[in-house]
Amino acid sequence: MTQAASANPLDPARPANATPLAARGGSRLTPLVTLYLLTLRRYLHGKRWMVMAGLFLLPAGLALLIRATSRDVQPMRLDFLLAFMFIPQALLPLVALVYASGMIQDEQEEQTITYLLVRPIPKWALYCVKLLATITTAVLLTIVFTVLTYAAIYIGADSRVKDVPLRCLQAAGIHSLAVVAYCSLFGLLSVLTKRPLVWGILYAAFVEGLLANLPFSIRLVTVIYYTRIIAFRSLEFIVSSYGRTENLAAEAWKLDIAKDPKLLEHPQTSTCLIVLLAGSLACTALAALLCSGR
Amino acid sequence: MTGPAEVHPIVAFHEVSKRYRNVIGLNKLSIQVQAGVTGLLGPNGAGKSTLLQLATGQLYPSQGQVRVLGQRVWNNPSLNRQIGLCPEQDAFYEWMTGWDFVYTSARLSGMNRPTAREAAGRTLEAVGMTKNKDRAIRGYSKGMRQRTKLAQALVHGPQVLFLDEPLTGTDPVARRDLIDIICRLGSEGKSVLVSSHVLHEVQSMTPYIILLNHGRLVAAGHVRQIRDLIDKHPHHIAIVCEQYRKLAGRLLAEEDVEGIKIAAAERQLMVETRSPGAFYSRLPELALQEGMTIEELYSDDDNLEAVFKYLVNK
Repeated sequence: MTQAASANPLDPARPANATPLAARGGSRLTPLVTLYLLTLRRYLHGKRWMVMAGLFLLPAGLALLIRATSRDVQPMRLDFLLAFMFIPQALLPLVALVYASGMIQDEQEEQTITYLLVRPIPKWALYCVKLLATITTAVLLTIVFTVLTYAAIYIGADSRVKDVPLRCLQAAGIHSLAVVAYCSLFGLLSVLTKRPLVWGILYAAFVEGLLANLPFSIRLVTVIYYTRIIAFRSLEFIVSSYGRTENLAAEAWKLDIAKDPKLLEHPQTSTCLIVLLAGSLACTALAALLCSGR
Repeated sequence: MTGPAEVHPIVAFHEVSKRYRNVIGLNKLSIQVQAGVTGLLGPNGAGKSTLLQLATGQLYPSQGQVRVLGQRVWNNPSLNRQIGLCPEQDAFYEWMTGWDFVYTSARLSGMNRPTAREAAGRTLEAVGMTKNKDRAIRGYSKGMRQRTKLAQALVHGPQVLFLDEPLTGTDPVARRDLIDIICRLGSEGKSVLVSSHVLHEVQSMTPYIILLNHGRLVAAGHVRQIRDLIDKHPHHIAIVCEQYRKLAGRLLAEEDVEGIKIAAAERQLMVETRSPGAFYSRLPELALQEGMTIEELYSDDDNLEAVFKYLVNK
């Protein structure tokens, strides 16, 4: 082993003409930014994103397959089925669950959490930064593959749907909002339980899958309900076939206002936005609080 | 415990207990570690890692107080700028290169980019990893991994270092290098608490030791002080002699001999005495008188291993 002549090799942060510890550090945000980037890099190096990307390619693949086999299928139907049923119902909870449940637990299982706990980062901040990186990853995947799905549905199709790019952007926004809520929720679950994956799958299947489809107030506790309301109020899902016009969303989501005036009491788009964001914040705050006490 | 230089303790445990449900990790432990290098010794399950985890704020004590540099440890992230930990577990971000890992550790400790870059390079040089710094960690040997772990603990220039079994699995060259580094850290004014269950390794780093067993403090202090403890208790002296039976009969007549065990196969006597000094000085004369030749004479109780075994089995 050799030593640098002008510095103390065993105190690398303190060269011979060193400044005091406080003066040679970066800003207070340096550890947090580094942790954020480290978490993103960790996700990129795992095989998880490839599995997720493979799953996310399913709707685009299905769209191409259906278009290739049934020439008279309406793009709007595909749009609704794939972008507003399949993706939010199956893929968004899954991607959020897989990433959020592992964001702390993976570090614990691989025992790399030690390297983070002995840094000048409060535990609550550690949780929040890791959640932020998780949300970033999940949202990026969501946006990219929502756009791909729309491309597979609409490119080269005879569509009467107005302004497809804007619709695609809105769908990506709605999906991103849902994924933020799911990540926050499953992040909290990962702090509350040692088996977040199991509980998360149960939650996704029972609460988001079953309760959300019941026309009762119980669906007010689900993420997908608010996501659907935002989509229902901001996008059209009307198709005409054989001289008959139908609203796909109203039928499938039990939101047929024409038949049931009580449905007018459904929350406005802004209320849904507030509920999803406030719920996400509440979950994050609670999880961060729990982390700081551990 | 009396340390080499300073009066104020660097690490202080006061009546600290740590329970994991029904298992006790540490039991009402009170110690004070002074500046310099201190060895933390004990068999597996003695509580060494628990102690280090408590000292680095990774665990909350079930009872008692832990202070490092006079500050409370739990939920005190700013203290982490002044401490470094080399954990026992062989865990890394395997996809990183050694340089990347140490640089990231420096950045996580709050250093800006140029300082972190410089510090990472210099630390890797100090632990002898410059040549391999650009290789992925997943391809490192055990020795390289230990050196890299030590580098991440050192990179931000901490005042206090906690090293959990840093020599585990290393080859003799790496072991020698790491021991040299640890000794140098001590001589440069760093405080190092290094755990191990290999006693001669600790002896080569420091004469100051803390002995733990079953979560309790067995002994603490200079190795001389600890050896004094054992002098109050029977020493075991092995004697290899052709006429071992005759010698045994003769020794039993001596007042300070507490007992004798005979190992006929090795022609060996294991003599138990409370006055080893007097026994050693009288033995040659006795052998001469009886016309016996002593082929071998030794006592395991003279090394730290024996002190350790004696104290933990007490």
